[in-house]
Amino acid sequence: MTKSSKEPLIRVVKRQGIKTWQICLLYLGAVILALGIGAVLLLFLKANPFEYYEMMFTLNTVGNKMAYIQYETYIQELVPLLITSLALSLAFKMRFWNIGGEGQFFLGALAGAAVAFMIPTSANVFLTIFLMVVAGSLVGGLIGLSTAALKVKFNTNETLFTLMINYIALYIMRFFGETKADWNIFLRPDSERPKFNQIPDNAKMFTIPIGKFSLELSFILVILLVAVVYFYLKHTKQGYEIAVVGDSINTARYAGMKVNKVICRTMFMSAALIGAAGALRVSSVYALSDTISNDVGWTGIVVAWLAKLNPIGIVIVSALITILQCGSVVASSNFSNVDSHFADLLQGIILFVVLAADFFIRFKIVFRKKNTEKQSKEANV
Amino acid sequence: MNVFASFIAALLKYNTPLLYGTVGEIVTEKSGSLNLGVEGTMAIGAIGGLLIGCKADSLLIGILASFFIAALCGLFFAFMTVTLQANQNVTGLTITTFGLGLYFFIGNGFKSAGKWPDMLQCEGFLESTKPINIPLLSKIPFFGEAFFSQSIFVYLGIIIAVVMWWYLKYTKPGLRIRSVGENPAAADAVGINVTLYKYIHIGIGSGVMGIGGLLMAVNLSGSFEGSKCWIDGYGWISIALVIFAKWNTLLAILGTFVFGIFNTLQVFGPTLAEKFPGVLGWLNKIPPQFMKALPFVITAVVLVITSISNKKNDQPAAIGRNYYREER
Repeated sequence: MTKSSKEPLIRVVKRQGIKTWQICLLYLGAVILALGIGAVLLLFLKANPFEYYEMMFTLNTVGNKMAYIQYETYIQELVPLLITSLALSLAFKMRFWNIGGEGQFFLGALAGAAVAFMIPTSANVFLTIFLMVVAGSLVGGLIGLSTAALKVKFNTNETLFTLMINYIALYIMRFFGETKADWNIFLRPDSERPKFNQIPDNAKMFTIPIGKFSLELSFILVILLVAVVYFYLKHTKQGYEIAVVGDSINTARYAGMKVNKVICRTMFMSAALIGAAGALRVSSVYALSDTISNDVGWTGIVVAWLAKLNPIGIVIVSALITILQCGSVVASSNFSNVDSHFADLLQGIILFVVLAADFFIRFKIVFRKKNTEKQSKEANV
Repeated sequence: MNVFASFIAALLKYNTPLLYGTVGEIVTEKSGSLNLGVEGTMAIGAIGGLLIGCKADSLLIGILASFFIAALCGLFFAFMTVTLQANQNVTGLTITTFGLGLYFFIGNGFKSAGKWPDMLQCEGFLESTKPINIPLLSKIPFFGEAFFSQSIFVYLGIIIAVVMWWYLKYTKPGLRIRSVGENPAAADAVGINVTLYKYIHIGIGSGVMGIGGLLMAVNLSGSFEGSKCWIDGYGWISIALVIFAKWNTLLAILGTFVFGIFNTLQVFGPTLAEKFPGVLGWLNKIPPQFMKALPFVITAVVLVITSISNKKNDQPAAIGRNYYREER
């Protein structure tokens, strides 16, 4: 056997044909492993992991008369994350790295709030919310469109460009929140210090009472949106174009697709949805703030990726991540030594473990066969 | 000190963390990896370095600790993206989420247990963070004290930047890592161990970021607040600065202090405007948020202009893409 034909001891090769249930099992195992690592950390803080996790995953609602408030908060947090993740998945499907979710969300929220404050208070609730969403999605969408246009025209790096926009948007938000002036419609007129004003009643989210619990209109909208995005990606020509562009731009060009148009259109939609999420968020929490996004622009990236850009997966993952986040806030009020940032830590660990598990889905490790020589002889025979 | 000299002194003191972050990220990016975890890496390096440094009551041990702990983050990033082929953007962002989570977890853990060290009581540690007067140079009138009476962090940062420039430009391993960042398949073909080179440089890059994190902690007297991280966005500004500095660590020194001027003007603006109302009176009229946003605006503009001018791009060609050997 000559030296040149020597195989390395360990080799990584692509794996094909792994079954869906195997993937689910692997992911489940990964999440359990991550929770196990989290449990060890909790033990360091002398907190009982079982009690902590129980409180976290049930949101402390068992036997709690005020449980409906927890569910309302949960829905309120879930909606923006779910919309943002879905929106980001559209762009990621084309391998377009829109990490500007934060910025698009902030500016969408500002646009939505601007409509809320400017529209006559006699206007109908539905009309007001509708106009807020339109304004938010237009502003968000235009930012997305300009990013996409720069990308296709000049090949500007979209990851870095959208990253910059995030911070510019954050400081625009702070500027409106901290500048006392006559033209600043966002602030409370009666307060000496600059403070964001509450939106008028007709801009507040419409809710459907179910007993004590009141369901936000936006939750119904977001369920519809999941169905629409699922259908769009799976069963329409445009959805197919997104998939092809993501797979290979050259193939798409060969097939006669207008790649630039697909990128610009999809990016507009992606950013517009995030802008709309921002506007809905204002309507839901009644006031602007510089933490209004609750980091959904970042978390959404993680969610979309964990869910493999699959709309149904995104629903499951964002539901889980929201439980972590709401649950850790609830639990931190009972475990004084465990900070609510524990959710971030846990989220990070889960993602790392799942990313590692991904490796075993995409690849398999092949060890050098000991009897290569013998085998090759047999092959010759 | 006159107002300009103290301006320069503050500029150097409070913005050198950006230099560490930027140099670290340049070294990382030169190997073809975009690590968006700067913020988290700096946070972990900062808290680890401060806790260990205070415990040992030695700044040197603190700096080494922050370097090695942050380098571990980098190696982890390398493990995920180089060995396990995970997506770089997602891994980097997760390092930031995880790092900030860990920062608050550790900080609050120590704080609630009443064990948070008071940096101002660690005399050995504190003493070493004081400004060092460089003989003769610091005696230069007007600017001498501003430039040459700085803490060890400022000198170290500039030395690291210069050494890295020389290393990347003129040494053999430097040339090799650049080739890995440009075209890993070609580098592999000529026999460079791509995986090893990436691990080492991502590790060193992250380690350098960690020292910057420690400096941020020291500048804030090491007081931990449960609501706000010491790093406060400097990691992200560093990523922006890499573009502004055109992936050159010497230009990073310049870029750091150009960006730093906006930061420092927020503090010094009113004083300067009061002293020189004729020339600098406009400083009072600029909203502080505008000053904060300006570095990002400039970077976005630079990014667009460089892509339009379409000259030879300074960005490593293979950045952001993982290298899988069998897919050539």
